[in-house]
Amino acid sequence: MAVLRAERTPARSAPLSETSVLGWLRKNLFSSWINIILTIVSIYIIYITVTGLWVWGVTDAVWVAKDRRDCFDISIDGACWAGVIVWLDNFFYGRYPRAELWRVNLGGLLLFLWMAPLWLPRVKDKIFIGLTTVFLYPFLAGYFFAGGDKGLFMQVMISLAIVALIGQTLHAIIGVSSGRGLPEYLIRLLGKEEASEARQRHTLLAILAGALVVAFVGQMGWSFVGVSWTKWGGMFLTLVISGIGIASALPLGIILALGRRSKLPVIRVLSTAFIELFRSVPLITVLFMATTMFPLFMPEGFVLNKLVQVIIAVCLFSGCYMAETVRAGLQAIPHGQYEAAHTVGLGYWGTMGLVVMPQALKHMIPNIVGSFIGLLKDTTLVSIIGLFDVLGMLRAVSQDIPWRGLHKEPLIFGAVLFFVICFAMSKYSRHLEVKLSAGDNR
Amino acid sequence: MKFTRLLTLAASAFALIVAGSVGASAQSTLEIVKKRGLLRCQVGPPAPGFYNLDANGEWYGSDVSICQAVAAAIFGDKTKLEIQSVSSQVRFTALANGESDLLSRTATWTLLRDTQLGLDFTAINFYDGQGFVVPKDTGIKSALELKGATVCVLTGTTTELNLADFSRVNNLDISPVTFEDTNVRNDTYLAGGCDAMTNDKSSLAASMAAFPNPGDHLVLPETISKEPLAPAVRQGDAQWFDIVKWTVYVLIGAEELGITQANVDDMRANATNPSVRRILGAEGNLNEGLGLSKDWAYNIIKAVGNYGEIYEAYMGGGKLGIGIDRAGSANALWTQGGLMYSPPFR
Amino acid sequence: MIMAVGDTNNTSVPVRPKERFDFFHDERVRSVFYQVLTAGVVGWLAWYLISNTAHNLEVRGMNTGFGFLTATAGFDTDFKLIEYKPGIGTYGRIFLIGCLNTLLVSFFAIIASTFLGFFVGILRLSNNWLVARLALVFVEIVRNTPLLLQIIFWYVGVFAILPRVKNSLDLSGGAEVVFLNNRGLYMAWPVPGDLFWMTTTAFVAAVVGVFFLRRWAHKRQDQTGQQFPVVSASAALLILVPGAVYLVTGSPLEWDIPTLQGFNFKGGFSLPPAFLALLVSLTIYHAAHLAESVRAGILSVNKGQTEAALAIGLKPGRAMALVIIPQAMRAIVPPLISLWMNVVKNSSLAIAIGYSDVVALFMQTALNQAGYAVEMVAMTMAFYMFISLSISGLLNIYNKRVQLVER
Repeated sequence: MAVLRAERTPARSAPLSETSVLGWLRKNLFSSWINIILTIVSIYIIYITVTGLWVWGVTDAVWVAKDRRDCFDISIDGACWAGVIVWLDNFFYGRYPRAELWRVNLGGLLLFLWMAPLWLPRVKDKIFIGLTTVFLYPFLAGYFFAGGDKGLFMQVMISLAIVALIGQTLHAIIGVSSGRGLPEYLIRLLGKEEASEARQRHTLLAILAGALVVAFVGQMGWSFVGVSWTKWGGMFLTLVISGIGIASALPLGIILALGRRSKLPVIRVLSTAFIELFRSVPLITVLFMATTMFPLFMPEGFVLNKLVQVIIAVCLFSGCYMAETVRAGLQAIPHGQYEAAHTVGLGYWGTMGLVVMPQALKHMIPNIVGSFIGLLKDTTLVSIIGLFDVLGMLRAVSQDIPWRGLHKEPLIFGAVLFFVICFAMSKYSRHLEVKLSAGDNR
Repeated sequence: MKFTRLLTLAASAFALIVAGSVGASAQSTLEIVKKRGLLRCQVGPPAPGFYNLDANGEWYGSDVSICQAVAAAIFGDKTKLEIQSVSSQVRFTALANGESDLLSRTATWTLLRDTQLGLDFTAINFYDGQGFVVPKDTGIKSALELKGATVCVLTGTTTELNLADFSRVNNLDISPVTFEDTNVRNDTYLAGGCDAMTNDKSSLAASMAAFPNPGDHLVLPETISKEPLAPAVRQGDAQWFDIVKWTVYVLIGAEELGITQANVDDMRANATNPSVRRILGAEGNLNEGLGLSKDWAYNIIKAVGNYGEIYEAYMGGGKLGIGIDRAGSANALWTQGGLMYSPPFR
Repeated sequence: MIMAVGDTNNTSVPVRPKERFDFFHDERVRSVFYQVLTAGVVGWLAWYLISNTAHNLEVRGMNTGFGFLTATAGFDTDFKLIEYKPGIGTYGRIFLIGCLNTLLVSFFAIIASTFLGFFVGILRLSNNWLVARLALVFVEIVRNTPLLLQIIFWYVGVFAILPRVKNSLDLSGGAEVVFLNNRGLYMAWPVPGDLFWMTTTAFVAAVVGVFFLRRWAHKRQDQTGQQFPVVSASAALLILVPGAVYLVTGSPLEWDIPTLQGFNFKGGFSLPPAFLALLVSLTIYHAAHLAESVRAGILSVNKGQTEAALAIGLKPGRAMALVIIPQAMRAIVPPLISLWMNVVKNSSLAIAIGYSDVVALFMQTALNQAGYAVEMVAMTMAFYMFISLSISGLLNIYNKRVQLVER
């Protein structure tokens, strides 16, 4: 027997704890005696830190002064931010010539432009864009940053980079507006949809060659003043070292991870030993090794500068960590994928390159962002061996005669700077994780 | 098989690159520097008075002036200079393997370093010595009263060794507290974390000048070590050694002769003193043995001034100076009771 | 006919009429070839680097060999666990002092960060909104700034504002046995007398006793269902037996109490500020990382487990301790152990604040004084490798056990 009611039961109003502020407070802060104590202690901690920091860092702080004595004269107990403000260029660009700063900024902007298509929907061939970022962008940026004479090889790479940049920007615009790729669009533009595949390919190659020639001629006119590595510094240097570190870590990590999973004992043992060697020692010892032993490794008369020594050390170090990330990514790929790839007749490299790696890489992206954050933070260690990265610069303020002894304020500024960058990136990597795993669950 | 071929190719390319890079033959340092168009001069991490970074990312300081002087002597242009700041662990190796042409930093000239590290010290441009600073209210007047004291010292330098020796010789049982960073050492000392702090007296003076109340502290009279500081070069290139050595002497000699950055043009044109005329290249051919141009010494003084001017600017009372008295110290000219003495220019 | 594109694993393609032996496409030949090639390249590279190094060392007249380990070192160190006098002690001893100092700070940092990490991780899941938020802010700030910066901050900002020697904080509440000032932490230290070995023996016996008591109690509970108050019984055993022996043998333990003499505290055991700053920063940094693993581990336990535990009448605290945490451990332990490895490795940043760990003492000061770059770098790296591999060996053992437990 069923009881039917003609009219709907009116919804009960939400419980008090969900609607009123008081109710919320009661549920979330004062639900039990322990909670009340905890809440009071927390409020006290917050009060102490916030008021202390506020008075020192804002109300009593000095923002404009000509030197540290001046700061003392204005306010003895407050922070002296004036020194930090005067030194800002050093923190971000190091000793880079002030007239050439636009080159660093442009380099950064180009990287943004270069990678932006990776985030846009409806753009195809993202893997290709990713590859050009790793293999072509460094040449263009390297020339922007270092300047000086460019050899023929460098000129070719720069031209390629320019063509790639323009090409993929167009590709991205076309992709977003019409969902097509650039090649398809060009073919259509020239009215050659009906032509054979080979003809189409030849046409595209001709366009590419033409663009290359134009770019090559165009870049011949450029000539930038050389800026020696000793003038690189600040956040710029930190980003360059960690950027190169993470970009080269990926190929190195993939090779080492494949080596470690290889069936061939010699390769497996060598890869494992190499990975474990670098993973089991602290970065600072690797950096010391690089600066004291690399010069001995080199043949007589062949000199590596400190920056190159450090970058090699960072690459080896992060490569070995990446190898473990890649290995974890590979382990997550079900065995069926390998078998399926073999069934359709793919060999080892085909299986890895076309089937397994693309899937594993997708899983690894959040971890790669995580490694980058870690590397960015670890890069501050290069200040110990004498490079003026951002931490080196932050600590140099206190030696400058006008600002002698000013060292807490720069450190706090640096902490905030790192926090903003790393926090934003880690939030993003968490977002990616959710997004990518949502894709898997569908 | 494609992959294999690629590997072989890569390996042989690598071998070629490596083999190709060995080509650098034994050129003289001067030739290398001239060809490069740039002098690579090594300093240390910022140290007040000797080498400092300013807010525009430019180096300044007395040792930086030596670098500029050598660049001016070679190129007639003090900006043809690449200053490398190298941490102290690798300073000598960086010179030995050719990363730097010249080491102009607070490296003490010792027999061991001169003979066993493959480098040669040129001419002394600063006489330093290790001393102690104590707060005045402790009532200590002599370093020998520091029995059982805790002394703040920087790690990784000879100061640590000197302190240990001083403590042993005088039976003082001093316990060192080591620091990596000058600021932290100063803060700890100011907060009473140690009873005294020790370092080269120049550096102590620089630190004291930045104390909130410099008058409350006292530099003890004892100097427990000799720290002659001199630019150093790689062993085995006599011409390069001479260039750096005589660059320092030009600075000292110019002060003796009264040549300054301001009057150098006038002196070259009008001076009658034969020493002045020879040093500035107005007569004679002193430049030839060095392989430099005739106006090399003129360029040096025009670019950085004489020794006294450099001292006043960075060590003395100048706006960027650290305020160490020169009068009566070893760093005064020999004519004024100091040790600064240049051989004759003839 | 479409042939297989790849060249390995194609022996099973049945359409091929017959497998011909093709030297270049035979899997065994290829595998040998690749291995020989790799070994050759690596061997050549190693030979090349070693011969360059030998040549460079000779050209530069740099000393080589491990003879320096028995040479005397002229410098002193402010913190050492074993006897050492400058001018008498050797470089070998300096290495040992450095290693011990690294191990000491790592050991305490591991223990402290493990406890703090669990604590903060549980706070992150607190139902008190403010506490959970506060824990989150703590974790995010600590995780997103470089450790080196934090170490310097603790050293510069916090330990410099501790009181001077004359106004030391008495942490023992008036008993004057533990002092904290800006020269470090001073505490009383026991000096065992002649008969103290008996107390030690009694303690060992008590530990063995507790072990057997637990086994017996467990067995009894399995058979009869009766519980035995193991915890209080063990505590009684551990305290009473050695305590009684200690008193009977006439309290053979003296305390070396720090007293203010001249400039400093003398006697007792002291830890320098650099040690404390390093310990605090390492603890906080790794605790924040661990807190995230703990939180993830707890969240990974199925919610049904909590509900079931509550449903059978366990209080929330007991449910956490008996049901949730044991299951979460399986997810927590691997990151926990790699965290321990990181603590040991990150303790090398001591160099920035002058704590005499193996890197600062041996790889910096000793290397500066004596040269021998290759030997010293190699020895330091070998030390870290030994520690790391030992810890990861521990992890492997644990993983094996967990795998066995899984059914």
